[in-house]
Amino acid sequence: MVVVRLVNVTKIFKTGVVGVKDINLTVNHKEFMALLGPSGSGKSTTLYLIAGIYKPSSGKIFFDDRDVTNLPPKDRNIGLVFQNWALYPHMRVYDNIAFPLRIKKLPENEIRKKVLETAKMLRIDKFLNRYPWQLSGGQQQRVAIARALVKEPDVLLLDEPLSNLDAQLRISVRAELKRLQKRLGITTIYVTHDQAEALAMADRIAVINNGRIIQIGTPEQVYSKPATIFVGGFLGNPPMNFVEAEITEEKQGLYMLLSGQKLTVPKHYEPLVRKAGLRKVVVGFRPEDTAVIPECRETGECIKGRVYAVEPMGREYIVVVDLGGDLVKAIVPRSLVLIEDQEVCVCPSLEKLVLFDPKTEKSLETLYAEKT
Amino acid sequence: MAKSNLFSKIKGFVRSDAFIFLLPAIILIIVFYLIPIAVSVYMSFTPLRNWNIQRYIHEFVGFENYWRFFYMVTHDPTVQPIFITTVVFIVVTLIVNVLGGLGLAIATFFMGEKEASGTQLLWLLPRMTPIAVYSMIWYYFFHGSAIGTLNSILMALGIIHHPIDWGQSIIPWGPWMIIIFVNGLVGVSYGMIVFTSAISNIPKELVIAARVDGASNWSITKNILIPLLKWHIVYVTTWQMLSLLTTYDHIFLLVEWGLVNRYWGTTWALYIYNMAFTAAEKDLGLAAAAGVILVIVGAVLGLLALKIMGFDKMVKEPRGDI
Repeated sequence: MVVVRLVNVTKIFKTGVVGVKDINLTVNHKEFMALLGPSGSGKSTTLYLIAGIYKPSSGKIFFDDRDVTNLPPKDRNIGLVFQNWALYPHMRVYDNIAFPLRIKKLPENEIRKKVLETAKMLRIDKFLNRYPWQLSGGQQQRVAIARALVKEPDVLLLDEPLSNLDAQLRISVRAELKRLQKRLGITTIYVTHDQAEALAMADRIAVINNGRIIQIGTPEQVYSKPATIFVGGFLGNPPMNFVEAEITEEKQGLYMLLSGQKLTVPKHYEPLVRKAGLRKVVVGFRPEDTAVIPECRETGECIKGRVYAVEPMGREYIVVVDLGGDLVKAIVPRSLVLIEDQEVCVCPSLEKLVLFDPKTEKSLETLYAEKT
Repeated sequence: MAKSNLFSKIKGFVRSDAFIFLLPAIILIIVFYLIPIAVSVYMSFTPLRNWNIQRYIHEFVGFENYWRFFYMVTHDPTVQPIFITTVVFIVVTLIVNVLGGLGLAIATFFMGEKEASGTQLLWLLPRMTPIAVYSMIWYYFFHGSAIGTLNSILMALGIIHHPIDWGQSIIPWGPWMIIIFVNGLVGVSYGMIVFTSAISNIPKELVIAARVDGASNWSITKNILIPLLKWHIVYVTTWQMLSLLTTYDHIFLLVEWGLVNRYWGTTWALYIYNMAFTAAEKDLGLAAAAGVILVIVGAVLGLLALKIMGFDKMVKEPRGDI
């Protein structure tokens, strides 16, 4: 129904605090977009700008081709769900859901029909006569979503709606919410600080830090090709490993020296490293794309280290390895028996590792793309 | 059995930590509340006059003071206006106080921060001004001569041609209007402060959510703010009603200065004060009886108000065993 477009949006608060700076973002029709970032990064500010609760200091916001920059929230036809759900404590569930329709002065029988329909869809039709405080967290959260959906909004805005739920419930609700969004086909913008939530639910993720959008991409792109060290470190649990390395040139090609040991620069990175003329890089590799083997061979694919700690996680083990001062993590099968202080070899997958420029902290791909 | 049970209960209470915690409050209540009430009740059964304590203190007249009081209320044409005035004064001033305080709190909620604090300060001024100074302002405002502010304004506008003695000539509406106006302005600030702090405790998201749904200021007020302020309204209404029942300071000055009519500008509390302290013949026994009845009326009205407005529903069962 609606494409949401933010063009060069900046929000500076009266106190001088910069909320967000130069945000450019397009959320496509029916798309589930997650705004992911740490607290204070500006993700909620972005959401409130889209909702119209904040007015941008500069820039424009469009719903399709309609400029909504200066429209009040009520004229944008949005549904908003808050972190604390903001249910009216003195109203029964039915009246909470009916509230937006009553404001629109719809006839009472039509309100009844729509409330029942929405409540049924969210499986809260049994609780319509209760007060919010008589419901569990998960049920209250459904009521909040029902209230946002009942007026059939063009855009659904969710501000950390799951963070008040306990961990178990959060995981089950997240799948439900994703299905619901796909079935209704509402353009949805979802603010979260939980990278797992963003990865699990979103069609695309916009990673925000310090009021700027750092990377926009599918979960796959953002996860495996982080544009900056920040993105790599923010996504994944455990996050990406980062180790500084020096570049040396030998007859066979380029090598990276990690605490004196050689690691081959992957073939597809060679031209980029040469072009950038870098002497030093930061090597990033995911724990799950890293093998740990007890025996080392001189192949340029592995680095020697010492086991620092082993963390059994049930399904697999996380091994923390000390690479001459840098601690890196690797996920290994349970069958591999390792003991502390044992010498091991860490072999990051050369196809999957990512190289970053230590100065700008950007990945070489991003750096190169910016230069051309 | 029951006696020793009560005794051991009291002994247990005296030994508990709760007793030490409550001791300062208990002392204050005994010294400043229970003893004066006991003295008043005692006095109301004596024919005490003109503070001649030694002569009258051991004389008992039973309920005679109370019978005299009821007889005066039902037969004395100079006393009857006082009770009509008291009822009108309390009812109208209470409405002004509660609705005014609520209106101001809600209006300032929708204002910008600067305008809100300015408005609130303005309405706090009557409360902060010394009673005599504040009464003086309104004394000049409503003064019956041509230099009275209200008279001079109305005359300058050509609405009236001769000064009107508001508090003495338009009986009973003139004196009523003045005492209600003066006390109403003072009382508004109390409700305003209570309601303002209550509103600031309402989560902002509730209001934002309603705004996003397109609710107007009026609809937010009616559907969200007022229902959530229900208990504060109960509290302020009860509190203000009881304080209006016993207040007399502003009215005393306005009557003494001759601004308002003595019969249609005096309330029950002031009547008691006058009878005990300013009348030529200080009938303390009668004043004490009137005072005791006022306390009983106040207690009954207070409990009734809380009952009618459902105070007990507000007190929820505590979670856990304390």
